[in-house]
Amino acid sequence: MRVPLSWLRDHVDVDLDPAVLAERLTLLGMEVKSIERWGAEWRSVVVGELLTVESHPRADRLSLTTVTVGAGEPLRIVCGATNIAPGQRVPVALPGAVLPGERRIERTEKMGVVSEGMLCSGDELQLTTDADGILILPAETPLGADLSDLYGDVVLDVDVKPNRGDALSLVGLAREVSAITGAPVRSPAVTLDEVDPEVARRLRVVVEEPALCTRFVGRWVTGVTVGPSPDLVQMRLRAAGMRPVSNVVDASNYVMLEIGKPTHAFDARAVHDGTIVVRRARAGERLETLDHVDRALDPETLIIADPAGPIGIAGVMGGAGSEVSESTTDVVVESAIFDPVSIRRTGQRYALRSEASLRFEKGQDVPTARIGADRVAALIVAWSGGSVLRGRVDTDPREPGPSRVAFRPARVERLLGTTRTAAGQRALLARVGVATEDAPDGTPVVVAAGPDPLVVQPAEEAVVALVPTWRRDILIEADVAEEIARVGGYDAVPTRTPETLMPAFRPSPLGVRDAIREALVGVGFTEVVTHALVAPRSLVDLPWPDDTEVPAGEAASGGRLVTVRNPLSQQHSVLRQHLPASLLDVLVVNERHGAERVAVFEVGKGYAADGPRAREWWRVAFLLAGHAEPSAWNRPARAADLDDAKGVVEVVAERLGLEPVTFEPDRRGMPFHPGRAARVTARLAASGGPRPTGFVMAEGDLTVSGHVAELHPSVAERWELRTPRVLLAELAVAGLGGGTLDPARARPLPRFQAVDRDLAVVVAEDIPAAAVVEAARRAAGDLLREIRLFDVYRGAPLDEREKSVAIRFVLQAADRTLTDAEVEAIAAGIASALGAEVGGRIRT
Amino acid sequence: MDLATMTAQLERLRADALAAVAAAADPAGLDAVQLEFLGRKGALTEVLRGIGGLPAEDRPRVGAVANDVREVVEAAIAAHGVDLRGAAMAARLAAEAVDVTTPGRRIARGTRHPVAETIAAIDEVFGRFGFVVFEGPEIEDDVTNFQMLNIPSDHPARDLWDTLYVDIPDHLLRTHTSPGQIRVMRETRPPIRALLPGRCFRYEAVDASHGFEFHQVEGLMVDEGTSLADLRGLLDEFAHALFGAGRATRFRPGYYPFTEPSVAFDVGCVVCDGVGCPACGRSGWMTILGAGMVHPVVLRNGGIDPETYQGFAFGMGVERIAMLRHGIHDLRLFMEGDLRFLGQFR
Repeated sequence: MRVPLSWLRDHVDVDLDPAVLAERLTLLGMEVKSIERWGAEWRSVVVGELLTVESHPRADRLSLTTVTVGAGEPLRIVCGATNIAPGQRVPVALPGAVLPGERRIERTEKMGVVSEGMLCSGDELQLTTDADGILILPAETPLGADLSDLYGDVVLDVDVKPNRGDALSLVGLAREVSAITGAPVRSPAVTLDEVDPEVARRLRVVVEEPALCTRFVGRWVTGVTVGPSPDLVQMRLRAAGMRPVSNVVDASNYVMLEIGKPTHAFDARAVHDGTIVVRRARAGERLETLDHVDRALDPETLIIADPAGPIGIAGVMGGAGSEVSESTTDVVVESAIFDPVSIRRTGQRYALRSEASLRFEKGQDVPTARIGADRVAALIVAWSGGSVLRGRVDTDPREPGPSRVAFRPARVERLLGTTRTAAGQRALLARVGVATEDAPDGTPVVVAAGPDPLVVQPAEEAVVALVPTWRRDILIEADVAEEIARVGGYDAVPTRTPETLMPAFRPSPLGVRDAIREALVGVGFTEVVTHALVAPRSLVDLPWPDDTEVPAGEAASGGRLVTVRNPLSQQHSVLRQHLPASLLDVLVVNERHGAERVAVFEVGKGYAADGPRAREWWRVAFLLAGHAEPSAWNRPARAADLDDAKGVVEVVAERLGLEPVTFEPDRRGMPFHPGRAARVTARLAASGGPRPTGFVMAEGDLTVSGHVAELHPSVAERWELRTPRVLLAELAVAGLGGGTLDPARARPLPRFQAVDRDLAVVVAEDIPAAAVVEAARRAAGDLLREIRLFDVYRGAPLDEREKSVAIRFVLQAADRTLTDAEVEAIAAGIASALGAEVGGRIRT
Repeated sequence: MDLATMTAQLERLRADALAAVAAAADPAGLDAVQLEFLGRKGALTEVLRGIGGLPAEDRPRVGAVANDVREVVEAAIAAHGVDLRGAAMAARLAAEAVDVTTPGRRIARGTRHPVAETIAAIDEVFGRFGFVVFEGPEIEDDVTNFQMLNIPSDHPARDLWDTLYVDIPDHLLRTHTSPGQIRVMRETRPPIRALLPGRCFRYEAVDASHGFEFHQVEGLMVDEGTSLADLRGLLDEFAHALFGAGRATRFRPGYYPFTEPSVAFDVGCVVCDGVGCPACGRSGWMTILGAGMVHPVVLRNGGIDPETYQGFAFGMGVERIAMLRHGIHDLRLFMEGDLRFLGQFR
């Protein structure tokens, strides 16, 4: 709401500096977004008086004038307007003046005559809409005065919250100023000289939907002359952000801004039979609205009609056919109360929100239906002549009194943490026009309103607030508490550190997520947060598998894609089902900037629909491309490969207390390199690990699952990647959705020597190395402490379909040093198991 | 052999040995000298072999001279040995010298995202006041996101949240973390101190200060006497923890349908310190969060009796806090994944 201070002063005295006023309003809950100096753009524009007006000797359409600005010699100014005459006072832009839009005025020659400045139109000053004529100022305007001193204004832009529709007006904001300063509010006085006949003889109103139009007040003004509004009115409307249209339409808009009551003026000729019907639209009905859009009307829409059909969409926009024009002589003024929900739905249905509908949506002060009709009629008469027919058509002249809201002053203090007396609270309410009285015994207090209200019989002192009709936001005790706090100033609320009971401890659901973040950051990965809303294409271009079993307690991935019904763009129209495509986008961004190493991860969600419900799952994904180890001045960089990515998976698992990680070949191909992709699994070891809150896991339960792979080269091409090899992984992790980490369990340090042995096993090429290690692990027995692969050899003297897998195992007993014989026996057991299970032979 | 001859031999041996010690060029040479003169088969032993030929009264004298020679030579060997090892060490150290001005070998190191880091910082402050973390779904139903929060369908306050709707009936992408209030109240009983971080969505065109995806942290505290004064005290502590102990704060009326009274909470502009600058719209203040006393209807919707219990809720934009903390001027940077940006938060 734009508030010109000069207009505000019509309704309340304001002695405060604008910046101070703005701050006080903000602290009262009427946040001032900006303070605009209206007219600050005019420099060296002063009031002059026309002395002579003659024809230009060489141009018919130009006049040659002499103008005095009080002091000094009269100025000779050339002017193109035709509405000027000697004796008029007009705005004069002196040489050197600057007008809105940084337009500079200089001494210029026009058709052989030097012009010492310019006479200004209202449009040039952005005061009125008239661009043709010079702005004629009232005769009493002081000569030589700076125009910005006379017409300059300060405009406050106030952010009125949706619950305070009453403050979307000058009078409403004057009430707020009054709450600050105590100065009385001046409502506009309405005096009407009415003429016969009775309006009822010309106008009939039928409300077919009384629930949607609870009151309709009609007035009839006859004999008007439609033309521009007075300059002052145009200036005010402009400053308040509304475009002046005509004296009749401006009267309606002026009253809307003044008292917050939207009204509508119809050309009476277009109201057939003088009959207005408020009803829902019928199937097939159409209306061309004032914005000249022809609209098919929906049967839900409340319309204003006459016997011939629709003439307006109620509360939202009038029809073009009944628009007031220059030939209009009689005007029907509509001032109605519509159902806020109906108006809001209508506005949304037609994507048509007007200043009027915004006010109707927030609810209307019932008496303003009458006051608004009278005020608009009075202003039309004042600005366009004519006279008002006697009386009003009013479908429900009953007007409610103040509503009664009981509250307990002690309860208000308990809510606010302040220590005011009941009398102090009542004095604060009085500042915003809320009178109070002692509550009679047995007055119930409404704690919560709604279809199932919570009403209590107070045991303590209660007071009744008499809430004026315009304050539709004060309904329950808590609303009264807010009003008391607001008027008393939030600064009066003491500062207290909470000392109430503490809740029971609850482990953070972020525990596992944070542990993984920390581990990945530690191994050189940077965390990214990317959009959950992605392009459908990205999920097609990178189809990530969703067929893996996930750890217990974690939500499964995959399912019906969730699509946004009203997306901002196709680029962000579906909810992602995996993270790697987003990481590829991050790679693209960083390749563009020449990054040599991109190592990023994200902890984020995937989303799907399960019938009428939604499902979300947490995953961690990482991408590694370019350098695995950065180059140094004396050492080249090393390019990342799948083993680097697998190492990162192992770090994650290790951080969670898991070991070992199993990698199994995944030859599905797209989006993976078919020969460089692995399914990942890790299971809970005896030493413990993460646990979803309140979830018991057993040794051997799945804790990490997912895929780690090199990207298929054709996907890399589709993404137009420069990096030849991109490693990607997405993992489901136990506890990621909301678990904590169990503390690591310490084991006693070994007291006896460990013995290590190496074995080289020749196996067929198609036997995976992991199978060899696993077979050896199973055969090694309880004394095995560690087993790992340390070499794979191919070549002479082996057959070309063979390879040699070298494994090292470490044996150790807790109670003795192992003898050579024991070690040899275990090694022999491993060798024979390898022969039986993977067809391996020991190479010596 | 007489005393004089023997003494002279010993004196000569001493001179020869000292010369040889001085001539030794390295520790090995010195060992050879030791062996040659003082070893079991060395020159000194050789000379002393003749001691038996002396009269008994002369033997102690020769013995004394011999011991003297041994001590002198041993001392010389030891001293020269120190010199030689020192020289060898010095030579090695000189040979091993490097240009220390070359840069270190980089170890790749990652960084946490400023949003995650800021959530952790917020969690840290409120955690110390006993707030525990809860989470809710991002695909939320209309009932919990709006209706339970005292925002009926077709309520004009819905304009405060431009909403993205999904193709699951009556579901939307949560526009704020506030529906978590309802979930927490239904899950636990007072006393409640809950913190709800998470991703939110709005139908909002993207610019330097707006995005359609962002993060919020919601707080909820409910007990019998939890008042607006407790809220103010807690928010002051929070502002001081995140923006410095001297940071001015401002507690003023706001509007949310789910709080009554409602609060807007400002801190002194972190750019101009309250003087007034373009960053704060020349007001000297920056709004960092919205808050208020939980509306009685919302408490009831959470299954809590508003006649017995009362409390407050607050909600803040994580990116907004991160921008103020780190001096970031463009919201779009958060979700782009540009490592030149993210790498700055070490």
